Amino acid sequence: MPTFKLDGQEIPFEPGDTIIRAAWKKGVEIPHYCWHPGLSIAANCRMCLVEIKSARPMALPILAWDEKKKDYVETTKNKLQPACQIEVTEGMEVASKGAAVEKAQGAVQEFLLLNHPVDCPICDQAGECKLQDYWLAHQKKLKRKDTEPVHKPKAVRFGPTIVYDAERCIMCTRCIRFCDEVVGDHVLDMRERGNKNEITVSPGRELDHAYTLMTEHVCPVGALTSKDFRFKARVWFLRSAPGVCNGCATGCNTWVDYDPRYQRVYRLRPRDNEQVNKFWMCDAGMMTYKRFHEDRILTGRVRQEGRVVEVPRDVAIEASAKVLEKSQRLAVVFSAQHTNEDNFVLGKLGREHLGGTALYLAALSPESVPGGWKGDAILRHPDPNPNRAGATAVAGGELRSTADLAADVAAGRVDAILSLGWAAGESVEQLASLANVPHVNLSSNIGPLTQVATVVVPVATTAEASGTFVNAKGMAQQFQRAVNAPLGIKSAWETLIEIGKRVGREIAFAKLPEVRAAMPATTAAVAAAS
Amino acid sequence: MAYAIKKPGRTVADQSYVVEAVKGLGVTFKRFFQNTIGPAENRKTATIRYPEESRDYPERFRGVHRLTHRADGSPRCVACLCCSTACPAQCIYIEPAEYEADDPRHGYERYPRVFVIDELRCIFCGFCVEACPCDAIRMDTGTHVPASWKREHFIFDKETLMSIPGKDGTYVTANPRHEPGDPTHPGLDREKAH
Repeated sequence: MPTFKLDGQEIPFEPGDTIIRAAWKKGVEIPHYCWHPGLSIAANCRMCLVEIKSARPMALPILAWDEKKKDYVETTKNKLQPACQIEVTEGMEVASKGAAVEKAQGAVQEFLLLNHPVDCPICDQAGECKLQDYWLAHQKKLKRKDTEPVHKPKAVRFGPTIVYDAERCIMCTRCIRFCDEVVGDHVLDMRERGNKNEITVSPGRELDHAYTLMTEHVCPVGALTSKDFRFKARVWFLRSAPGVCNGCATGCNTWVDYDPRYQRVYRLRPRDNEQVNKFWMCDAGMMTYKRFHEDRILTGRVRQEGRVVEVPRDVAIEASAKVLEKSQRLAVVFSAQHTNEDNFVLGKLGREHLGGTALYLAALSPESVPGGWKGDAILRHPDPNPNRAGATAVAGGELRSTADLAADVAAGRVDAILSLGWAAGESVEQLASLANVPHVNLSSNIGPLTQVATVVVPVATTAEASGTFVNAKGMAQQFQRAVNAPLGIKSAWETLIEIGKRVGREIAFAKLPEVRAAMPATTAAVAAAS
Repeated sequence: MAYAIKKPGRTVADQSYVVEAVKGLGVTFKRFFQNTIGPAENRKTATIRYPEESRDYPERFRGVHRLTHRADGSPRCVACLCCSTACPAQCIYIEPAEYEADDPRHGYERYPRVFVIDELRCIFCGFCVEACPCDAIRMDTGTHVPASWKREHFIFDKETLMSIPGKDGTYVTANPRHEPGDPTHPGLDREKAH
């Protein structure tokens, strides 16, 4: 691979790479605002100015003070060029540090902050704002302008999810380019010039496509803020755990941002993965974090004489053991919402130990998703289940749907059900027949399956347990636990082992790696690799 | 090496104790009459009649916290959580919220819906005051946390903190500033100029 020199360091590049991209690939950051690895080049922030020492320098005529002559003399200086726009050539020598570059960076930074309100206490971006970071890294002094900054509209509603603050905007146009290039919806644009410049929404439109929250995420400053996250938490209190989105079969990689003090997830952010989601996520995916805390099942539930009674978890496990012991023709319902590990232990208990032969898969259908679900050509997969492929692979072949299960129960082919997860493509009414047989359900949230179950045992959500999903492309992706599960609640596979113990069936897994090691080679091998 | 110490000689007056005892009583009575009879300003006591009397704390004494007010009576605090971040005792709890669009204070955007200080946990280091970018939290009350026999009485909520005046008896800050929405707010905006 050809290389070039950046501040004395040899950096490899692929033909066509710009200086900033080659450096970024190597993990070297050249300060920038408008450049984004997933967007086109605008070169309008001028923060990434570097000095190209080799090749033919672009000379600027200047007047410089000559100490000996005690006069200004005519000379030239090397013109600085934006690193985001200049293609690297073999053997190029670039300086992103040094007196000339640092002076330029400080000046650009000062210029960008000239009319900035510096309302960092109010701004939601504080703590992860590039203006703050680069001010400390490259300017470190007060702006010299002492007049009132130009005031522009604040807290402008751009759409149902985004609020815009024109005063904080540095016109990097990342949001405009994101909408144009990734979403293909030219809903944002610029108007006015100079220090009156601001971002506007097309007349008669709102910023309301399926990827609006990404515009907030690509904004390097606090100009665009998400209504959902706005004023909920401060980023310096948040920790991040690597997660995988539960929204659909694409399996976008996420950072799960949670507050360790309250054990609460506050937002999801895309985690760069070139093979899966590049740098992006859709709005619905980013909002899936709400399910970690809403509609939770925190105690056991047992149906007694038609009424649902909340009982301690132990009592629910005891009750499920009683149901499963008596069963002769057990139906095992795998879950496309649960991890491979959970589904694998379910299969182990349901099929090997309890002799269940009727196997089904509980999965959401596009119609059953609240508000509907539609795939698109960008990220959103038509299948709104994160782990259909994994659950099917772990079960060892095609599984029948929950509608088939309802039919089988009605026909009397099943005398008990062991199901995982809350999701089903059918409504409670369509699944009503499931209530006719004893039904043990392990679930973290309320859903159609929990409502027709005889016994519900609470389990952890995907934010509260580590696991593996297999996406529609067949890639197994691991994610890590972010927050602790509420007191006493364990992940589904651990709960299944507990239930197994009560019915006298020992499943000898103590730790997650042991479950992974025992899983079928196809899913386990990919899981280990990712 | 041991050596003998000569004992001081004592006179008859010393030996009798009477003269020294009378001298000592003289001092006692002088102070007694000075501090009980005559004008108060002449008194030279080291003590005061607490709680009827109390001394002023020094100017920089860090007293109980207060939250300063804006002209419209709302808290100056913008719920930026800098104080709770800086607090080493972690005694400040804030829940930020947003003024609704139809609220006249909408321009302030952010305010503390809940602002609680656990005064029992507080170590009165003053870091919160240092950290506050809006001069919203101050410890210039010149008074300490009143004593109580219940723990709950030391959990000061927003209303309590806003009801405590400064040493000068006002609820405002010594460092006013222009804020969005103020009629005095200078500068251009789309309505006013260009």
